[in-house]
Amino acid sequence: MVKENLGKVAEGEFEPLIIAYCCNWCSYAGADLAGTSRFEYPTNIRIIRIMCTGRMDSTLVLEALRMGADGVLIAGCHPGDCHYQKGNFMMEKRFDYLKKAVKNIGIEPERVRLEWVSASEGGKWAALVREMAEEIKQLGPSPFRLRSIPKKTDAAIDAFKSQRLRWVVGRSQIKVEIEEQKYRQTVDLIMQVEIERHMITLALKEKGPLTAEELSQITGLQPNKTMQHLIALRRDGIVIEAGEKNNQYLYQLV
Amino acid sequence: MEQEPRIGVFICSCGTNIGGVVNVPEVTEYAKTIPHVIHADHNLYTCSEAGLTAIKESIKEHNLNRVVVASCTPRTHEPLFRAACREASLNPYLFEMANIREHVSWVHPHDPEKATRKAKDIVRMAVAKAALLEPQTEPEVEVKGSSLVIGAGVAGLTAALSMASQGFKVYLIEKEKELGGIARRLYKLYPTLADSSEVVGPLTKDVESHENIEVMTSASLKDISGYVGNFNAVLTGPEGDKEVDVGTVIVAAGSSNYTPPKGLYEYGVHDHVITQGELDEKLKKGEIGEPERIVMIQCVGARKGEIRPSALEAFPKSDTAELLRKILKARKEEGWPYCSRICCMNAIKNAILIKEKSPKTDVVVLFGDLRVYKEYEDFYRKARDLEVRFIRHIEEVRPEITRTPDGKLQVMAYDALAGLEVKFPADWVVLSTPLIPSKDEIMLGRMLKIPIATDGFLMEAHLKLRPVDTNVDGVFIAGTVSGPKDVSESIVSGEAAAARASILMGNGKVRTDAITAVVDEDLCIGCGLCEEICPYGAPRIEDGKSKIREILCRGCGSCAAECPKRAITMRHYGDNQLLAQVKALLVPQSHEGGLT
Repeated sequence: MVKENLGKVAEGEFEPLIIAYCCNWCSYAGADLAGTSRFEYPTNIRIIRIMCTGRMDSTLVLEALRMGADGVLIAGCHPGDCHYQKGNFMMEKRFDYLKKAVKNIGIEPERVRLEWVSASEGGKWAALVREMAEEIKQLGPSPFRLRSIPKKTDAAIDAFKSQRLRWVVGRSQIKVEIEEQKYRQTVDLIMQVEIERHMITLALKEKGPLTAEELSQITGLQPNKTMQHLIALRRDGIVIEAGEKNNQYLYQLV
Repeated sequence: MEQEPRIGVFICSCGTNIGGVVNVPEVTEYAKTIPHVIHADHNLYTCSEAGLTAIKESIKEHNLNRVVVASCTPRTHEPLFRAACREASLNPYLFEMANIREHVSWVHPHDPEKATRKAKDIVRMAVAKAALLEPQTEPEVEVKGSSLVIGAGVAGLTAALSMASQGFKVYLIEKEKELGGIARRLYKLYPTLADSSEVVGPLTKDVESHENIEVMTSASLKDISGYVGNFNAVLTGPEGDKEVDVGTVIVAAGSSNYTPPKGLYEYGVHDHVITQGELDEKLKKGEIGEPERIVMIQCVGARKGEIRPSALEAFPKSDTAELLRKILKARKEEGWPYCSRICCMNAIKNAILIKEKSPKTDVVVLFGDLRVYKEYEDFYRKARDLEVRFIRHIEEVRPEITRTPDGKLQVMAYDALAGLEVKFPADWVVLSTPLIPSKDEIMLGRMLKIPIATDGFLMEAHLKLRPVDTNVDGVFIAGTVSGPKDVSESIVSGEAAAARASILMGNGKVRTDAITAVVDEDLCIGCGLCEEICPYGAPRIEDGKSKIREILCRGCGSCAAECPKRAITMRHYGDNQLLAQVKALLVPQSHEGGLT
């Protein structure tokens, strides 16, 4: 069903569709105020109400992009104004990684934005929608609409669902024992590794048992890197050897 | 929910507010084509009695198990429609709203075609979420008939007395040795010029002698746990710790007076440069006499810098006390961003007191803006009649302290009306300074998990609609803890907070929000990340699994977003429910819309 609807681009002017996840207390109310104040803005935005940006799982953004949203906006309370004290700060931390992941899978990072709009900033909301709609118009339709689905996407969604990446991202919300810069580098590395490993597992899931060489060709990863990942995946009990082909081991999902 | 969703959609024209832009009949016809929609209709006003009755009747007639109303913002009307569902025996959480007024017709008035299309999208998204909604139960808890009041200024005293008179047990703690707070140190109060002791004295006496009030002085809150209706507080005082169980808490911890940094207008350098508070004390003791001239300078340390200061950088860090110390120190140098509201009246009051005692003394009030509201205008006129001189200086050009040739104190200012530089040799220079948040009060806010506003005061749940409630159920605020107030305003807020707390205690039970986190114990590995992340201490690891104490959970969803095993979901805002909206927008199944 997903595929049938993707790829249709209307003739004439491109009208982007932007999903906005707005927190109930500030930004949703800010968008309400734009209405009450009759501030006009383009019709490209569709608001989904959430209680707090702290609730925004990165996968909710990636899935929306995957389904073809031309842009995703996350809007919450200004720092210090969060109804739940620090949900917006948590989102901000998470967003750093999310934005890197979006770039990593080959989507313009400008398609994803995190903004603070208070309940009293109706004007800011209207201006923000205007600006974002215009920016995305310039970028053109999302690659997902055009059926050129970046192949890393599903792996990235799986990576952001994986225990390992979620654990390190989650840990960055609380005081860590090592220097922050170093911690962030570690998370970045793990994110990269997890996306690559999920590319491998997705390929195995789709195509059945494959050799390291075949996996390397499908995923575009270097052969030695593919092998490293296979060793790690085998250690974690995710893949296992499944016979041989051309004197090479075949691997399959456990 | 095992049943197949049977959804009713009700589209509101809101007079012409929606109907004047969005083609409501077209959206209604469209709604009928959306999967699971059994019934769709439109009304002139869905929130009217007729509109609500139509919803209730349709629920029965069409055996609806979900309702969607497409109208205005859920932030105002959701409770009304939920109540209608409840009356028709439908769980109120099986209701969803599509906002096609604030988010459509009011912002796209000149593009009816696109607005109608957007309205259809929003209705489709709401239906998709509605299909996945589940009934929820709001947990009910007992509320103990006792209250803890922190701070015995006029607000705290008033609140304590009000609740005690209704028969509730009150524990009142005060950090100082005596009751009365800031008002105890004041001399006369505006606009009646009554002695402050006439207000504070009887109030203190009534509180001390009330059988339902237990007073602890030189005491503070050491620790608090629990939730609305069932708080457990550890109070600490000279006689050691005392544990009390209370149903509600009122924070009336007050604020501090801003003390200018040494050297500002020669404060702390020249002993005849004093603050308005110090003048109060001197007038009380009769130490001012009959000087030739007194110059008052308004807004010293107030209305400085941005309204949105960096104060709350404090939030994500763990060492609040240290950061607060830094912020308060920086603010002492820079001043505070807001208007303290009471300083103008305070200056006028002291000017009148001086003039009444010593008519020959020239009293000059230098101000940027003078704010005298309601009947206080008369009080200001009275001061003018007494020939107090009010001189407006340009906001940007602050007055300066210099010396006369013979070495006397002199204030130099730029008179904005006359367009002249003016010089006033002065016997006394009085600085009007703001009430500012105190460190103790901010730490208290942190302990009770009350958000702190960007100006450093404790934040009310809603500035307009819930001015004495906080975001923590069962915890209320009164007095200057939430911002500068005068004595009568503090009394009003004390009464208000007591009334709000008494509603809970009088009912003896309360329902809390059903939107909470839920743990799938099969998935949970008991890692404890949720426990560390939660600002409310709701999750706790027991027997290797996370248990959410629903009554503490506020429903923000941070734990769900971070759970490494994705074992936590949010009631009413589950990933599936949110993604259903996305999917309905972008990849609709059997009808128009979506990406084109």
